[in-house]
Amino acid sequence: MISAFKRQDNWTLIGLIITLLLMIALFSWQSEFFFTTRNFINIGQAISIRGLIAIGLTVVMITGGLDLSMAAVAAVAGMVTASLITHDVNSVLVGVAGIAAAGVLGAFNALLIVKFRINPIIATLGTLLFYRGLAFVSTGGDNIVTGVNAWSELGRGSWLGAPITVWLFLAVVVLGMLFMRFTVAGNHLYAIGGNSEACRNVGIRVDRLRGWTYVAQACLAGLAGLMLTSQSGTALPSALNGAELDIIAAVLLGGIALTGGRGGLLGTLLGLLIIGVVQNGLILLQVQIYWQSVVRGGILIIAVTLDSLRRGGGYR
Amino acid sequence: MNEHSQQPLIAMSNVSKAFGQVQALVDVSLTLYEGEVVGLLGDNGAGKSTLIKILSGNYRPDQGTFQYRGQPVTINHPADAQALGIATVYQDLALVETRSVSHNIYLGREPRRFGLFLDRRRMEKDAGVMLDDLNIRLPSQRVDVELLSGGQRQAVALSRAIAMGGNILLLDEPTAALGVEQTQQVHHLITSMRQQGKAIVVITHDLSDILDITDRIAVLRQGKLWAYVPSGSTSTSQIIGWITGVVPPRIENGASQ
Repeated sequence: MISAFKRQDNWTLIGLIITLLLMIALFSWQSEFFFTTRNFINIGQAISIRGLIAIGLTVVMITGGLDLSMAAVAAVAGMVTASLITHDVNSVLVGVAGIAAAGVLGAFNALLIVKFRINPIIATLGTLLFYRGLAFVSTGGDNIVTGVNAWSELGRGSWLGAPITVWLFLAVVVLGMLFMRFTVAGNHLYAIGGNSEACRNVGIRVDRLRGWTYVAQACLAGLAGLMLTSQSGTALPSALNGAELDIIAAVLLGGIALTGGRGGLLGTLLGLLIIGVVQNGLILLQVQIYWQSVVRGGILIIAVTLDSLRRGGGYR
Repeated sequence: MNEHSQQPLIAMSNVSKAFGQVQALVDVSLTLYEGEVVGLLGDNGAGKSTLIKILSGNYRPDQGTFQYRGQPVTINHPADAQALGIATVYQDLALVETRSVSHNIYLGREPRRFGLFLDRRRMEKDAGVMLDDLNIRLPSQRVDVELLSGGQRQAVALSRAIAMGGNILLLDEPTAALGVEQTQQVHHLITSMRQQGKAIVVITHDLSDILDITDRIAVLRQGKLWAYVPSGSTSTSQIIGWITGVVPPRIENGASQ
């Protein structure tokens, strides 16, 4: 299915794969602990929860949108979930309620962006502060401790040797890729990112589709918040605070353009893996923790610079 | 020139549209028959694009009515126009540059499987057949539109209009960005579409070939219909006179029946 790849995106993917392999080779050479099953599971575990959010963000950005509020949405979903667990609510109901709460926040984002035509950066900057504030206000800033219970299995359990969080993340990646590539709606999302006016002209319901991407993104963030709460047995109002920029960096590294219409979930997965491998490798090499940010930033800058040079275009 | 034995395919009566203080269209009535090409002319701001956007459902008229084959209809949404078989090719082409030729041709009406999934194979095959039928040569229907030339893009845009199943085609300056040879190709396309019985409205600034490829000429001036005459009964200089307002109005709306 060569045709399913975009010609330009092809090169981005190849570049990412080469980078990833180089990183793996480098760290395997430098550390005996790196190239082990246990360590790869660690890397998978480390990127899965943020990865859920990155997948949702990728879809939003393919349509030419942006969502800065996703980490705050995850925190609110975590607080809702934890408070229900401490009130002995049925487990399934807790999950549904947590994700539904996140979905409502996503619908509010969609309302601001699609109905009131507010620039997504500004709208979700506002809701980022608003939702994060709600998470803190809900308990006056306190954490909610749920401890170990039936819910913990979701974040701590394993299946076939790998954590459930990793399986869940991979399932979302695969479903997302199938959706974006093979459904008419997925193809329309790409087209909207390419030229939304052209899509309106032919009768595609641009606003409705765009709105749903924000709701889906929020639901995935909600799921991430659930996993985090389940994993740690605690819901923090400050959960994932500041993770927004890291997640956006992973998505951009994966070849998604801020202008929309390009890229794909495979790129985001590779972007997440590269960042995950680098983080893990630097820890194994016992490099001072502050170098992490320097290296991640460096990789992003190099990647987007190469991309811009190759396309011969870029920011004007 | 065509003989119009039947009733008009589409007729718009007394259509007006204002944008704030600006009267873009004033009381315009037009008829359009099967198998005819109408050249829509006028200076910048005369209301040509507004007229097209009203017919295609992108603007809602302030006043006026439409009849399709004699039946009263409303066109309030692009979907209404599509349902009547009205397809538009815009001045800016409205192509999605980051998508392939076949995606662009079938944008918004992709062949589906099980209602939800894109039938990519059928879409690419149909696009190939359609491009062959129209004698349009492209590197591949899988190539992204951003890699095509201006003439090739125009061909993709026209293919889309035809793929929409349109029997009324509205072309907004189809040759504005094209060279001489590519302009000829587009004119051939227009002629072959007319032979298929389509009704075609062509907005253009290019007066050189307009009398050869059209059956009737409509001239808008300051939002009003200034002239509507058979192409055979007028001349380039007279058309320029109507566009600039030097020659008094002449409307033979349906007089050619």
